[in-house]
Amino acid sequence: MKRLAAAVLSLAAFLVAWKLVTVVTGTPAYILPAPEVVADRALRAIGSGILWEHAAVTLSEILLGFAAGALAAIGTGIALGKSVVVERVLSPYIVAAQSVPILALAPLLDIWFGGGLLARVLICALIVFFPIAIATMVGIRSADPLLAEMLRSLGASPGQLTMRLEIPSALPVIFGGLRVGVTLAVIGAVVAEWAGASSGLGILINIANQGLFDTPLMFVALATLAVIGITLHGVVVVAERRLVLR
Amino acid sequence: MRLRRSPLLLVVVLALAACAPAASPSVAQPPVMKSVTLLLSYQPDVQFAPFYLAQQAGYYRDAGLNVTIQHKSESDLIRLVADGQAQFGVADATDVMISRTAGIPVKYVSTLYQAFPVALIGPKGKVPTNPADLAGKRIGTPGRYGSSWAALLGVLQAGGLTAADVTIREYPQFNQVDGLLAGDVDLITGFRTNEPLRLAAQGMQVDMLKIDKVAPLPGPGLIVGDALLNTTDSRVAEFAAATLQAQRAIAANPQLGLDAATVVVPAIASDKATALAVLKASIELWRGSGAQPSGSINQAVWYSGYDTMRRLGLIDGSVPLSDMTFDVLSEISGSPAPS
Repeated sequence: MKRLAAAVLSLAAFLVAWKLVTVVTGTPAYILPAPEVVADRALRAIGSGILWEHAAVTLSEILLGFAAGALAAIGTGIALGKSVVVERVLSPYIVAAQSVPILALAPLLDIWFGGGLLARVLICALIVFFPIAIATMVGIRSADPLLAEMLRSLGASPGQLTMRLEIPSALPVIFGGLRVGVTLAVIGAVVAEWAGASSGLGILINIANQGLFDTPLMFVALATLAVIGITLHGVVVVAERRLVLR
Repeated sequence: MRLRRSPLLLVVVLALAACAPAASPSVAQPPVMKSVTLLLSYQPDVQFAPFYLAQQAGYYRDAGLNVTIQHKSESDLIRLVADGQAQFGVADATDVMISRTAGIPVKYVSTLYQAFPVALIGPKGKVPTNPADLAGKRIGTPGRYGSSWAALLGVLQAGGLTAADVTIREYPQFNQVDGLLAGDVDLITGFRTNEPLRLAAQGMQVDMLKIDKVAPLPGPGLIVGDALLNTTDSRVAEFAAATLQAQRAIAANPQLGLDAATVVVPAIASDKATALAVLKASIELWRGSGAQPSGSINQAVWYSGYDTMRRLGLIDGSVPLSDMTFDVLSEISGSPAPS
């Protein structure tokens, strides 16, 4: 209850500060709309169906991209953590892929993969991959060596060692990577849409900003992305509380 | 510390005053320069040569203007000009119609491109001449916004079609040329001055369906915020006239524009032939059907374009056309500018 009250108070303070800025500076709505203007526009966007139409597309890209990126990253992270040879072979490519600006790469990926949902999920997964893979590798290596030795002496196979010891002990660090990854997935979906898409919140931002000159609608799309990000982050936190033994 | 009155100090001051040259009404005072900011979209490029030449050759200075040029996205520059953070911008007429309708106080004051620069472009021999034949085609465009989108909808409408009758593929990074080369689309929207040359460089000869032949829309021009336009400030007329002077100088001698652009974009020197080709193609668009660039606002094209935009649903008609333009060059000459 206290947590909810703090969140509500924080949101109220943010909205009041935002309103004050618009009043004190006299900034026109086409540059910085007041919160009630954005709220009114949000209601109209919800009523017309346009917001859900675009949000559903982005949400599906985020969920698919995050799932694909996280699964690949956890698998790769386990391999990296367990094998120095794998780490030496793969690490340069993983770091290189992370260092290349995805904004520059995304239009090429869009063309190479046909410009459909597959291309957008792939771009999203690429952004998600790095923090989760590195977190998993670090987590796997953090398993207690004495416990590992004991399990081996009891006849545990390498697979049992991974499933019974290394992954459970790596979970807190893996969830740290998932928390970062899920917020990056939101950015990844928008970047992917900006590389080539017909719908999605990234496209709605472009249409509102460059096509309709409707700044309040652009804020509605941005706020929707923020809500999606906060919600998905919350889901990961809840999953972490359930799965990680403390 | 208090200054004490000193007879000696008084003598020195009087002596200095006597030695000072007397102000003479016959000596010309240097003009007070007015600082203005011009916002251009895209990035520094040869197509903006008139502004570079006007700055370098002193046309702006002679008009008493100290011009700073910056590049912004078109949607941002329109907002900044409206807000008075910059005095001038270059924007698509279609965007002016939409932004004005959305309550952004800017007006289009002078035409830079008398012909609409966007065309439908495709491989030679594969571009329909009748808009109705576009049905079923795959068309690449940067997005469902901007002058390219308005032009595409206008052409489709002229053929009795809508966007639902074709397959639209968006290229928000403006890389629709890559899509055409890869065979992902049959046609693309693009600037008549740029994309055909880029495609030719990749070995693709093209044909174009020119928008202004089937759905006339006004081309890009100078925009000014209402706040500046409503004052008696003469900067708007002076700026437009100096820019027109530069456009005409380049139209008469394209090399002037190429040299001015090379100063701003040194990379042009590595491929002057292409830059000159772009510039010459731009000059044709600046002229339109006239003998030389005029800067004037073609009211017939604006009426037609306004009507097209309304029928396409891109504007609702709540803001009259008269609130969207102010032909500053006609106003200072007292009559419509020659076309």
